[in-house]
Amino acid sequence: MAKDGPTPLERFINGILPENPVYRQLLGMCPTLAVTGNMKAAMTMSGAVLFVLFCANIITSLIRHLLKPHLRILVFTLTIATFVTIADRFLAAYMYEMSKELGPYIPLIIVNCVIICRCEVCASKQGVIAAGADAIGQSIGFALALASIASVREILGEGSWFAMRVMPEAWPAWAIMILPPGAFITLGLLLGGANWFGMSRSAKTAA
Amino acid sequence: MKRTGSRCGGYIGQAWLVLAMALLFGAVLAGAHIALQPRIDENKLDETYGQVPHLVRVAIGETGRFLSADRSRTETWETPGGKIAYKAFAADGRHLGWVIKAVGDGFADKIELLIGLDKRAEIITGLYVLAQKETPGLGNKIAGRKWKGKVWADQFTGRRTDVPLEETKAVPTKANQIEAITGATISSNSVCGIVNNAVGEFRDKMGTLKKKD
Amino acid sequence: MDYILSLLLIAIGAALINNFVLKYFVGICPFIGVSRRVDMAFGMGCAVTFVISIAAMLSWTFTNFILQPSAPLTKWIAGFFMSPEAAANIDLSILNYIVYIFVIASSVQLVEMYVRKFSPGMYKSFGVYLPLITTNCAILFACLEIMKHVSTGGGSGDWGSAGGGQSWGLAQALTLAVFGGIGFTIAIVIMAGIREELDHCDIPAPLRGAGITLIVAGILALAFMGFTGVDTKLKRKIAPERETTITASSHGSETHATSATGGSGQ
Repeated sequence: MAKDGPTPLERFINGILPENPVYRQLLGMCPTLAVTGNMKAAMTMSGAVLFVLFCANIITSLIRHLLKPHLRILVFTLTIATFVTIADRFLAAYMYEMSKELGPYIPLIIVNCVIICRCEVCASKQGVIAAGADAIGQSIGFALALASIASVREILGEGSWFAMRVMPEAWPAWAIMILPPGAFITLGLLLGGANWFGMSRSAKTAA
Repeated sequence: MKRTGSRCGGYIGQAWLVLAMALLFGAVLAGAHIALQPRIDENKLDETYGQVPHLVRVAIGETGRFLSADRSRTETWETPGGKIAYKAFAADGRHLGWVIKAVGDGFADKIELLIGLDKRAEIITGLYVLAQKETPGLGNKIAGRKWKGKVWADQFTGRRTDVPLEETKAVPTKANQIEAITGATISSNSVCGIVNNAVGEFRDKMGTLKKKD
Repeated sequence: MDYILSLLLIAIGAALINNFVLKYFVGICPFIGVSRRVDMAFGMGCAVTFVISIAAMLSWTFTNFILQPSAPLTKWIAGFFMSPEAAANIDLSILNYIVYIFVIASSVQLVEMYVRKFSPGMYKSFGVYLPLITTNCAILFACLEIMKHVSTGGGSGDWGSAGGGQSWGLAQALTLAVFGGIGFTIAIVIMAGIREELDHCDIPAPLRGAGITLIVAGILALAFMGFTGVDTKLKRKIAPERETTITASSHGSETHATSATGGSGQ
């Protein structure tokens, strides 16, 4: 098959920063805000998204020649929902505490736009290797975005990182950072920061 | 799109992939269910049973002798109304006490508690917050050891159940007073209320408990 | 009275206290994307409320009669093939998520077809948002909340919860859905109103668009946090006798009276 567009390696790298799903494409906002109260939850969520996105991309890529255009979305949804159910059950079996903390946000991966968008844009047109690389790249990008927000919120809100104390004992925990408003404000400011970084860099290349 | 044969054949030609995938995924899910469900059920039981030894331990003072999550020493008893109580035994078969699960409204959402009682339900031998969604940094101190470096719920240990507990913002002076968490009086009050309600109901219905098989 | 009170509490909880957008972060995509103008935001809110009610009704029906452990319809059908004990043990809850997402997708389709055919005016005003709604987390979230309250049976073995903790009926499910949708509409309309004003402001370039929207949403969420605890107090105001009955029977009413006044005085 003739490669039109980036190679698997380029797709992998693209997903991490240049096309970061959260900061660049503004996809998957719901888990980004909801499970970033601490690093552990954020990383579990990223793991679940990696699993679902990887499996869904591989399956979609394998059956891409058999797909009827108008049944496409139906097949994607079926695939994603199946793998999300498996991920949900797996967490409930082996990481029960985490599964209770994440609650409805694991099943909500089904309607996470990141996954259906990657199936549609990439996996249904590319070979298995490209699709797999794309899935891993996008998931790492998603995990990095979640980690950046969760780090800010956990360090300021609890004075700890991955439940390890990093701030001095006297640090007054900013409870607001763990509460919903903290999520919105942190993401808003980080998004602004990412845009500012992008703008100043493109200004430099233009000059 | 070429029509193959009859109209019915056309539908199958269109949908065979979806049907095949539905069957395949159904099989995968069934496999996952068979493999994982026993563990999930186990986890749910462990959540309650695992706490039973800690909650009745204090009544007898034998700290080292209980293994956690030793289910052979816990029996499940039930009232005619379907309320469940866990009956805990010591290694030598003596009846140590009861553990009940209580639920009530907190400040933000429901609070779930496990309450340990001695065998006549006269003394509270332990309190564990199973689930809560109180305000982080304030009300959520009812769970965990973030309150003045101690476990807030440990205050309930050793309290008598014949007088209702009440929370106080000052240093407790009476035997039935619980020191409230600063800034979270409603959460503290809710826990006291839930304990009072549940223990009261348990004392009323204790006689009707029967062993559940 | 108790029944109406429980519905009222669910309604207040879904619309204000646990606002879908500002507390649970579901439905953020349209909240950021379609909140530029108030009329568009209101159209989106109405469309979501409409679809959410239909999806909730359907998913409650499916959960209650087919999916939950020992559901009546499943039991009846399986009864033809196996012994009654085995039929009672069938648990289809692993299929929950798949069924919900298809219920949502097909109800969006049905609503779109119905609206286009029978009320073109309405289709013009909010029909364009309908296809977007399938991937709106708010609807799946409502279905999941309903599932939680139907299939756990609400913990009937728990102590001290007089009357509460029953499994939800259709009325409760529908209340949650409709008021959840109304809560979404409230949030998105307020947001759109603020953003219309923001157009006249000098916002730093990197924050324009999503950045400032999220920060404003954070302040809105802060404001909505003020509703926390309203339901508990309301319940104590309207039905204070419910809590007292149990305690009074075992502890004597005199000691109890002090603790009750202490409780409601907070």
